[in-house]
Amino acid sequence: MSPTFTRRDLARLAGLALPGALLARRARAATRARVGLAPLAGVELTPAAGRRALERALVAATGAASPLAALRTLFPATETVGIKLNCLAGRGMSPRPELVEALAALLREAGVGRERILVFERSARELRRAGFSPGEREHYRCLGIDNDYDAEPSTSGSIGSCFARLVSTTCTALISFGVVKDHDLAGVSAGAKNWYGVIHNPNKYHDGNCDPYLADLLRHPFLRQKVRLTILDGVTAQCHGGPAFRPDATWPLGVVAASTDLLAADAWAWRVMDGERQRRGMPTLAAAGRPPRWLATAQGYGLGEGDPARVEVVQG
Amino acid sequence: MMHRRAFLGAGAACLLSGGAAAGQRSRPPDLHLEGREASWYRKLPDRRVECQLCPRACQVADQERGGCGVRENRRGLYYTLVHSLPCTVHLDPIEKKPFFHVLPGARALSWATAGCNVECKFCQNWEISQFRPEQVASFPMPPETLARQARQAGAPLLSATYSEPVVFWEYVRDTALAARALGVRTTVVSNGYIQEAPLKEVLPHLAAFKVDLKSFREAFYREVLRGELKPVLRALEVIRAAGVWLEIVVLLIPTLNDSEAEVRDLARWVKGHLGAEVPVHFTRFHPTYRLTNLPPTPLATLERAHDAARAEGLAYVYLGNLPGHPAENTLCPGCGEMLIRRAGFAVRENRLRRGACPACGRPIPGVWA
Ligand code: SF4
Repeated sequence: MSPTFTRRDLARLAGLALPGALLARRARAATRARVGLAPLAGVELTPAAGRRALERALVAATGAASPLAALRTLFPATETVGIKLNCLAGRGMSPRPELVEALAALLREAGVGRERILVFERSARELRRAGFSPGEREHYRCLGIDNDYDAEPSTSGSIGSCFARLVSTTCTALISFGVVKDHDLAGVSAGAKNWYGVIHNPNKYHDGNCDPYLADLLRHPFLRQKVRLTILDGVTAQCHGGPAFRPDATWPLGVVAASTDLLAADAWAWRVMDGERQRRGMPTLAAAGRPPRWLATAQGYGLGEGDPARVEVVQG
Repeated sequence: MMHRRAFLGAGAACLLSGGAAAGQRSRPPDLHLEGREASWYRKLPDRRVECQLCPRACQVADQERGGCGVRENRRGLYYTLVHSLPCTVHLDPIEKKPFFHVLPGARALSWATAGCNVECKFCQNWEISQFRPEQVASFPMPPETLARQARQAGAPLLSATYSEPVVFWEYVRDTALAARALGVRTTVVSNGYIQEAPLKEVLPHLAAFKVDLKSFREAFYREVLRGELKPVLRALEVIRAAGVWLEIVVLLIPTLNDSEAEVRDLARWVKGHLGAEVPVHFTRFHPTYRLTNLPPTPLATLERAHDAARAEGLAYVYLGNLPGHPAENTLCPGCGEMLIRRAGFAVRENRLRRGACPACGRPIPGVWA
């Protein structure tokens, strides 16, 4: 089924900062399939260490001369940048506030105004549970979607959903800030699955290991055109029992990952998770009956590189 | 601007509990969903659970919800989040459900919570059925209060309706029990997509059951609502065998389920498996939700379905969403005498005598007293 969108959806996209979007698209095309990694161990996690790791991952992912140059290309100052966190698992397995703080500070230095940086999750309650404080922060505003969805659903293939207005209307550019963890149905929950949190009815789209639903969601122009960057807090990762926090299934992966490819970070996460599962004598995700097939479907739509074997890892 | 979902809920709260006036808030409150343990599920390894309420049989990991969005796994225990938490409560004529053979002209206190176990692309109530409980304005109302409200409003009936009662089945059960103690009877308006055990457990407490039979083709169920036909047909047989009054509604959607062959297959199945005296209502589709690219059902299509079902031997065939149409009336299948004359949801005349035709004396099945 081909995607269908409403006229209103297209009108809202016409409001995007076009030169910025074009520049960013070109930059993303040049770094297709690439994931930039920077080491960051839990014991070193000071704000300064977090920022350094983030900078190195950004440079590795984009090939830019500096982290600020990377961000300026991806997010011109005219953009309103939404950073979607994945806080479902609470403090144990959510992006660390220090890293999110560092990303917002870098965006500010790259020229994006404080009022144009919005850090959000499904609800203020979830943000608080993960250690964030909704409200005005030094570099950004932190808020929950809290049921502020479009009044009408928008269709993309098998998906028919009301999008958060933050995504459909307010933000012109988006960042997925996720973690590296197992998901009982999708296989992997890293950067892409995080976007289930911006529609009103994610529970409808878990059949078939989320395939083709997750791919169809990513194909919607709100995401396809606006998502410029994925950041993963991989200081600690979880190879089983997700999406909830399962301490016994975590291990110190010790990295921050960045990618401008919509799928590559997830394909990489699949690879590292299978590696850890094999080390523990557990079946791979495919053998456990939940291969992230949606990655291949999304790749078929031309959304990015979904094959773990073809992801290029660049150490920062 | 007032959100429509908030308005529905706020309006309902205002109607029955004297709560906040419509327009006071633009979004549902930041509701903490306490939930209570669900009645039909089993535990699986790794803190996972399998829901045993509807045929989807969702296997749900810790912290996740089932497909209906109103049942949540919390550390290996499964919770319903909507027990005693309706999002809408209204007094409706029973004809609106529609039940045409249940206390004609009576009012039913009708209630719903958020959530549904399928996703009909043509859902008229999608603003509550396709949302999670925290996304719509809900308000606490325990079963006893609901039953008392019905009694105080002079309504002899309660009706679980609007969204999908299967997903708030524990609440339906407990309300039916509370209502019975006050002399109020409970009816259910459902898609019939439910497993046998929970259905059989609650049926003895119900007075009538209306099933929306969405189509008589598996492909339609699969493609248009992501459900299955077979379990619905089984549920219809179980309801009928339990002796609970049953009516069936079929929404005819142009080009999708309105062929004469499908209508005849359906009518033959109803006659063969349930009996010719089960009323079948064919109702008119209006474009909505995700199905806005089709026209309303033409009158001729509805009339052709009516005639085909009658020709297959069904005794009570009605047309709905067509106010003033003669096929809203109940005629005696024996002698053709006008028994109940309706206009939309209003009963203009009821000539039944002790549940029988006044002209020929033929008993007319239903819940008449
Ligand atoms: S009632 Fe809800 S949770 Fe249970 S099987 Fe059906 S859709 Fe899944």
